[in-house]
Amino acid sequence: MAEAETDARRLATEARDRVRFEEEVLELADQVYRVARRLVGTREEAEDLVQDTYARAFRSWRSYTPGTNLRAWLMRILTNLNIDRGRRQQRSPDMQPMEEGDYFLYNRLEETTGAEDEARIVERLSQDSIVSALSSVPHDFRDVIVLVDIGDFSYQEAAQILDVPIGTVMSRLHRGRRILKSELAETAVGEDA
Amino acid sequence: MTGFEMICEKCEELLQPYLDRELDDSERREAESHLADCGYCKKRYRFEESLRRYVRGACAEEMSPELKARLANLRTPLT
Repeated sequence: MAEAETDARRLATEARDRVRFEEEVLELADQVYRVARRLVGTREEAEDLVQDTYARAFRSWRSYTPGTNLRAWLMRILTNLNIDRGRRQQRSPDMQPMEEGDYFLYNRLEETTGAEDEARIVERLSQDSIVSALSSVPHDFRDVIVLVDIGDFSYQEAAQILDVPIGTVMSRLHRGRRILKSELAETAVGEDA
Repeated sequence: MTGFEMICEKCEELLQPYLDRELDDSERREAESHLADCGYCKKRYRFEESLRRYVRGACAEEMSPELKARLANLRTPLT
């Protein structure tokens, strides 16, 4: 009798923990979707990816340690699924020579627009051109930009999510942002031509 | 001579982690002190900061209510 009561109490506790976990995970859905949307090419792919991520998260809820970083835990599932599903075409990180500096885009826009409030120069770039430039950044670099700049993850969190050293996150981020700015500069100059 | 007292090319590299809030306290103080004195970097810092915000805004796409409902339906049914 006492054993049955103990079992019932254990099941009730587990059910309560699971419900709380699922509620917390669902609260993060908007943030998860925003990242997913920029990791893959289309809205449909992003929706599939998020749905698969949530299905796996709900199945694997026992492997999450309460009190640890739930957002990073979810994102790790998402990035692993993205790789597993073959949606990434792996490219060598060194395939594009990048000699431009970090200030390249600013310098280019300043040249073409003349003196202007530097905080407003960005408004010369259309939203479409930004989305398009980001999607043309190779995956290894884009993943890090999306996690840090759009997902608001720290370098350390991005390293854990992607299972790479923090130095790799920093170098990919640095290089990825330069590629992004180079793409944006081409667009901006192209639009002026 | 350390970090931000070096030429602005070096500063260029360190401004990215500064914007990412990844510098430690002493590096951050150096960055801020350099930005207060160097008009060249200050202009570009303001631009980079705006660019980050702008990229984030341009890339923000809300999820559909249908997907939100589908995710909620994936929850384990209460028995």
